[in-house]
Amino acid sequence: MKLNKKDCIVMLLAGGQGSRLGALTDGTAKPSVPFGGKYRIIDFALSNSVNSGLDTIGVLTQYQPLVLNSYLGDGSSWDLDRMYGGIQILPPYQGGENGGWYSGTANSVYQNVNYVNNYDPDYVLILSGDHIYTMDYSIMLEQHRKTNADCTVSVINVPAEEASRFGILSADNKGRITAFEEKPKNPKSTLASMGIYIFTWHVLEKFLAMDDKNPDSSHDFGKNIIPLMLEAGAGLYAHEFEGYWKDVGTIESLWQANMDLVEGKDLQLSSSWPIYSRNPEKPPHYIGCDALVKNSIIADGAVILGHVENSVIFSSVNINENACVRDSIVMSDVIIEKNAIVEYSIIDERVTIGPYTHVGHPRSQGGMITVIPREQILNGKETE
Amino acid sequence: MDMLGIIFSDVGMLYKSDLAMSRSTASIPFGGRYRLVDFHLSNMVNSGIHDIFILPQTNFFSLAKHIATGKDWNLSRKQGGISIFPPYSLEENVGLYKSRLDALKRILNFITNSKANFVILSDSDTIYNIDFGKALEFHQAKGADITSIYTVRNLDESSSVHETIYYVDPDKRIHDIMLFPVLEGLHNVSVGAWIFDRDILISTINDAISHNYIEFKHAVMALNLKKLKVYGFEHTGYFTHINSIQSYYDSNMHLLKKDCLRDLFYSENGPIYTKTKDSTPTRYCIDSFVKNSLVASGCSICGTVENSVIFRNVKIGKNALVKNCILMPHTVVGENTRLSSVVTDMNVRILDDRTLLGTPNCPFYIKKNMIV
Repeated sequence: MKLNKKDCIVMLLAGGQGSRLGALTDGTAKPSVPFGGKYRIIDFALSNSVNSGLDTIGVLTQYQPLVLNSYLGDGSSWDLDRMYGGIQILPPYQGGENGGWYSGTANSVYQNVNYVNNYDPDYVLILSGDHIYTMDYSIMLEQHRKTNADCTVSVINVPAEEASRFGILSADNKGRITAFEEKPKNPKSTLASMGIYIFTWHVLEKFLAMDDKNPDSSHDFGKNIIPLMLEAGAGLYAHEFEGYWKDVGTIESLWQANMDLVEGKDLQLSSSWPIYSRNPEKPPHYIGCDALVKNSIIADGAVILGHVENSVIFSSVNINENACVRDSIVMSDVIIEKNAIVEYSIIDERVTIGPYTHVGHPRSQGGMITVIPREQILNGKETE
Repeated sequence: MDMLGIIFSDVGMLYKSDLAMSRSTASIPFGGRYRLVDFHLSNMVNSGIHDIFILPQTNFFSLAKHIATGKDWNLSRKQGGISIFPPYSLEENVGLYKSRLDALKRILNFITNSKANFVILSDSDTIYNIDFGKALEFHQAKGADITSIYTVRNLDESSSVHETIYYVDPDKRIHDIMLFPVLEGLHNVSVGAWIFDRDILISTINDAISHNYIEFKHAVMALNLKKLKVYGFEHTGYFTHINSIQSYYDSNMHLLKKDCLRDLFYSENGPIYTKTKDSTPTRYCIDSFVKNSLVASGCSICGTVENSVIFRNVKIGKNALVKNCILMPHTVVGENTRLSSVVTDMNVRILDDRTLLGTPNCPFYIKKNMIV
């Protein structure tokens, strides 16, 4: 056995723009969007991997990687600074036979075949860096081994009316996948692909090469590789996941996932399955004499002198006297001045909201979530 | 920086207190998420000192575990970094360190081998945020052999005996030292940190040992005031010296004052680093009611909390009332329980419907792992 052989390595797709997150991803890739008071979205995939015993992770980046790269650093925040393996950022590169921009998720892995082969893995786990969930991948890997599958797709039961938004699978009673449709108009089942795949590496390597030769392919795992494998009669199995899973690809879903963490019912984080992150070096947060804090999550270094309800407050946020924050997500280093009101909003990092400024509108009125892009300074009575 | 840092982790009155029953003085939790040693390590690191020796005495497991490789203070390095020198480590000298002087004598080889020309010695029962770089500039500008750092404090007769007092002339030269003063009023109180020229430190230690002196401040400082140039450098920001449960309680409570919090944690000298725990942000329930409190991460708060310092991973149940308290990590407060002026050590569980009352000038301390 090679010294640095790994049983299973992870390829984490983190190059997507996440254009539906609007201003939040103007300067940063979706996986590095802040979440839940102290995390970034990618922390969930990374921590799940580490907690599942997978310590070799290639992170495929392309869109606006600066924030993500500096956040990942040497990987030590996730215990991924290892002698062999650990974290490796894999940007697109020039040269070689395949070099160039990543043209799709499958193409990004195909361009890094050499990286994978360095570790001579039996299996490769493909993850997205933009889902909020806690999952033990070792259970899925165990199933993959037992069924001797070529590919195992993690699936979750979704409500029938939402099924047409997902890649929908049909499986026989042994879990073997019989059909796969991307965003079908008339879904045949409610088993939705979570975009989490375990492949037997030597099988995947062949299919990636095959797909690469097809000029009509968009080189995407869901759209191309899975159908190609099905067609070729490969052994594809579904692995049913039960628990909280949310694709935070839209402003609404990002807001909702944050609120699910506040409610603490569907989405609960516990010390037995820690989500690691880069921790800010800040003192505990301070709640002032006239402050009021209800049903909220507050991170280190925040100073709360005003009112906070149903909200997620990130580190080093200052909420001054008589300011009021409701149904909102307030990211790091935001300053909310005296008597300002923030409702049903997502305030990105380093925004300043001036005194008596009103951001957003009551949630009860319905309508859209207000998003304030980073580093803006708002001053004025009304801002929508 | 051209300076070696040495931290005494078990000196002072706290060594024999309940707080240090199961841990070094240096690893006593403080301020919601820190341990005392964090302030000293951070002061040194922020001042550019990257070679640090720690001299523990007994019970240093929690300290060793807390520090580990020193990574959290940026001290996991190929050059320098952190070294722990427990007693019992040298052949000819077995047993605990008898004093600061004895400890220094036993690691003299390592001090001699250090490339640094200056050494800073620091006790660990104090809390302040300082730039030792400025003190070193002062030391060099004065051409001093020893620079003792002090701060001006108002003393009262009952507690002054635990402090060391310097008398300085207008040029800041120290001309007298009082080791066990009984007096009141404004005085120059030692912060427990001394900068030495390395060669002076080595020669004074050798000299003191050969005279069979035991006490560092007496033998190295007081007896050398005429022979050596001993200067005093004034620290002006927040400072506290913890020497009892009462002063531990008071010092934590200081953090609820804006100025202290700013001086200590938002100083231009740099932040205070500590071991990170990856705990979740703190969750407040719909019934929570919190005023004037410092709350660390990982807590779940459903009751009422006033004027308190809440450490990491504390759980406060519904309808509980926590007032003027210090709750160390993993404290669990049951539903409908009332606590006033209580200090709980780590992992204390207080069951439902209990009432425990101390007073601010006599706080009620509950030992580690107790179930009440």
